[in-house]
Amino acid sequence: MDFRPLNDTERRQLIGALRGNADSGTALLMDRRDTSFLGVSDEVPDEEVINAIKSVPCHY
Amino acid sequence: MPTGFDTFPLSVYDGVGSKRRLEGVPRIRLTRWLYEMLERWQRGLADWAGGPPADRIPSKTLCEIGPSPAPNYKPLRRVLLTEGVARTLFDEYSDHRLSERGTEETGWLLLGWRDEDEAVIRATLPAGADREAGEAHVRFNSTAQAVASRIARQSDRRLALLGVVHTHPGSLRHPSDGDFRGDIRWVGQLRGGEGVFGIGTANGDGPEEIEQPRASVQRRGGMTFCWYSLREGARRYQPIPVEIVDGPDLAQPLRATWAVIEGNAERLERLARQQSRLGFEVALPSGLAAVVPLADGTMLRAVLTKEGVRYFLVRNGELLASELHEPRVDRGIYRLLADLADGDES
Repeated sequence: MDFRPLNDTERRQLIGALRGNADSGTALLMDRRDTSFLGVSDEVPDEEVINAIKSVPCHY
Repeated sequence: MPTGFDTFPLSVYDGVGSKRRLEGVPRIRLTRWLYEMLERWQRGLADWAGGPPADRIPSKTLCEIGPSPAPNYKPLRRVLLTEGVARTLFDEYSDHRLSERGTEETGWLLLGWRDEDEAVIRATLPAGADREAGEAHVRFNSTAQAVASRIARQSDRRLALLGVVHTHPGSLRHPSDGDFRGDIRWVGQLRGGEGVFGIGTANGDGPEEIEQPRASVQRRGGMTFCWYSLREGARRYQPIPVEIVDGPDLAQPLRATWAVIEGNAERLERLARQQSRLGFEVALPSGLAAVVPLADGTMLRAVLTKEGVRYFLVRNGELLASELHEPRVDRGIYRLLADLADGDES
């Protein structure tokens, strides 16, 4: 496996991602081939969207 | 008291000064005390030597608080509409006014990206033909909108529900008290606890191209959309600046097949909840395909049109039509899955 030090940008992203994971449970994405850090998930879950749609109030 | 000494109350000691053994109470260990002293010596030596070399200290940028990957939502500062979304709103409002139900209220859901302090609206979902509406209210066909949101989000999972646009028949360009009572309870579940709301009105003439007499107002052809935001716990809506940016309305391709979506919405939504790998494709000119991938690489494909539902098996790039005639798409798919499990592909 090829180990190399992260550059500043990568370190910032990783630190921010770890902070987001600790603070709000943001998912950390990992490369399945070499387990390297791929970023964070900002996907919105289906349930969140569907529940919000189903509860839109009547408008007048 | 110095670290390493115990703090037992006097009652722990017996009359001759020797400590009684207490169950569960840690004892002072000589090795632990020596390690502690060693650590203090090391720290003292490090301070005396001047600390670690500069290249071992993280750069200042790393010591600062970096940008949070999970947006730390702030109050919305502005709303960005793609050009396609703005065109959809004006075009469909215009069509609605000319329709048989033109005196009723209508509306759209707004899907898009919620960034830290701005919202980017990238798709609209119409109220639907099966909406419940009159001259003073509108309730959307939410089941059809739920299915449509699943289809629109296949290409962009960042799309979230951002808010609602609805029209008023008169000249009231502000959400009503009734709107507020419903919206203030609803916005808490949106990202950032804040929603975007548009009010459409129509009176008089106007420019042929979209213009903005005020930052939160858009006009075209006698129609006006006034934009507001509402935060959880707020007392009133706030006008919010809108800007138009390049880009399509990502849900516009669904308009051609909206009648099919509405006609099968309950069954499609149930199927989507039960089959996590279910996907949808717009089948031109006005159909919708529901696709269920199977374990062996084959796919079950149900093509829904106004005329009915046809079922296919896609295997090795070959399309095999099924003889099944089942207008209820969920029942049809489960019947074919059962047949496939039995080895019957007719």
